[in-house]
Amino acid sequence: MIDVRNLVKRWGDKEAVSHVSFTVGRGEIVGFLGPNGAGKSTTLRMITGYLRPNAGEVFLDGRSVSQDSKAVRAMIGYLPENNPLYEDLRVREYLEFRAALKGIPRSARAKRIQDVLDACEVTEVADRIVGTCSKGYRQRVGLSDALLANPPLLILDEPTVGLDPGQVVHTRHLIKQLAADHTVILSTHILPEVEAICSRTLILHQGRLLFDGTVADLHRGLSGAGHVLCGVKAAREIAQTCIASVPGVSQTVFLEEEGGVARFRLTAPGGTAVPEALFWACAQANLPLVELTTEKVSLEEAFLSITTRESAQEVLA
Amino acid sequence: MRAVLAIAKKEILSFFFTPMAYIVVASFLVMNGFIFSVILAALSQPGSSSASPMAIFFGGTMFFWIYMILMAPVVTMRLGAEERKSGTLETLMTAPVSDMEVVAGKYLGALALYGAIWLPTLLYGWILSRFSPVDWGPVWTGYLGVLTVGMFFLAVGLFTSFASRNQVVAAIMAFGILVLLITLSILSILATDPFWKGILEYVDLWGAMQNFARGMVDSRQLVYCLSGTGLFLALAYQALQARRWA
Repeated sequence: MIDVRNLVKRWGDKEAVSHVSFTVGRGEIVGFLGPNGAGKSTTLRMITGYLRPNAGEVFLDGRSVSQDSKAVRAMIGYLPENNPLYEDLRVREYLEFRAALKGIPRSARAKRIQDVLDACEVTEVADRIVGTCSKGYRQRVGLSDALLANPPLLILDEPTVGLDPGQVVHTRHLIKQLAADHTVILSTHILPEVEAICSRTLILHQGRLLFDGTVADLHRGLSGAGHVLCGVKAAREIAQTCIASVPGVSQTVFLEEEGGVARFRLTAPGGTAVPEALFWACAQANLPLVELTTEKVSLEEAFLSITTRESAQEVLA
Repeated sequence: MRAVLAIAKKEILSFFFTPMAYIVVASFLVMNGFIFSVILAALSQPGSSSASPMAIFFGGTMFFWIYMILMAPVVTMRLGAEERKSGTLETLMTAPVSDMEVVAGKYLGALALYGAIWLPTLLYGWILSRFSPVDWGPVWTGYLGVLTVGMFFLAVGLFTSFASRNQVVAAIMAFGILVLLITLSILSILATDPFWKGILEYVDLWGAMQNFARGMVDSRQLVYCLSGTGLFLALAYQALQARRWA
């Protein structure tokens, strides 16, 4: 559905977005992840046609954003960063204005507005002035606007920033529901949010795309390595010899020996092969395996390893 | 066109949500009513000229110009600057609406507000007609002058509003440009060199307004106002387009 090719945006001589390319298929929920200032919003703004790229091109369903801008914009429901709204209009007036802009026929407007008000649960503030609504309601008004023309693609730039925990859960739930019949791109710097909502993650750092894969891939880290914790009821040396015979273990770290149990942390590729091999190795050596846990790389760790590895490489270069 | 009308309608609605709207309209009507009564009082003195009160009202006094150069920036200053400051420009420019439609909608809204502010002054003509016969021809050409000069000034204001993210700065920039335009009129009166005087007469808005108020429609002055309008609308469009690069 989205085809981003070699996108570049410069501010002066600094590249805010540097040669970013990716594609998003219909029905995917993609999390756009990165620290503040990574170029997430700038990239989204180029996809929505708000900003023009210095180089590269974005296609939506084969239509170029720069050549066919109006038609492309009609396909996108966009919630910009900070959710800007006209403060002095009433919620319903605001949505009426947006509906007219989006070319929803006059006869269908009232019904459509009521539908999105219901879907986003903002009906109770429909006649309030936008500026007097709470942040949670304002966010949902912004979402209602994005949904108004029932576009196939939703682009949400930090949709949960500044909301209280209850509102965050509610908004995520709503986005998950929407994902059933929309393609969604969502930017955030909150990792659990990606884990909770997205099927795929793009990590952007200093304007470059560093990672493109599923959330499960992210858990395995870039190298795909995971950790296995194990405890063997044997002396440290005996247990270590046994573990050394297990194929696929790249590193063994001794943790402690307590009550006759030696504990180790093994570095190994993800999957079940290593724990299984470990079990059989211990069984054959007649060593009781009393503890076996596969440790996932936390998203935070994976994210940090991806973004800091890059900076470290830069320092070395 | 639907988008143009939707934007124009929204601007009219928003304008009347600001206290500024009521201050502008009220002060405009109070001061103009006062000026109109002063003109009538002066003309009813024995031995005064036989000029038409509406002709003096429309171009004969400097009050007209003071109001024009103050009112146009106030009407237009929010249009672009406020959208930029609050960030709503982003939602507007990512809606399926062309930049041309945004400029047209905002301009149409400003023009409608301007018209609404002038509308009550039609009462002055009606009041006059109750006491003496009124020659309506020059009154209508006077309003034509108000319209064309207004179109020009509002286009200037729209441009500065799209060029700034601060309403006050936008208003001050527009004010500066409008003062400059009026200064050209004054220069055309002061100029003695026939070459410069000839050129300055083309851009003499004050003289143009006096002609309109006397019932004379000079195509040169119409062309000047309309091409000025076109120029500043084109600049406003460019200023808006520049947002997509910054």
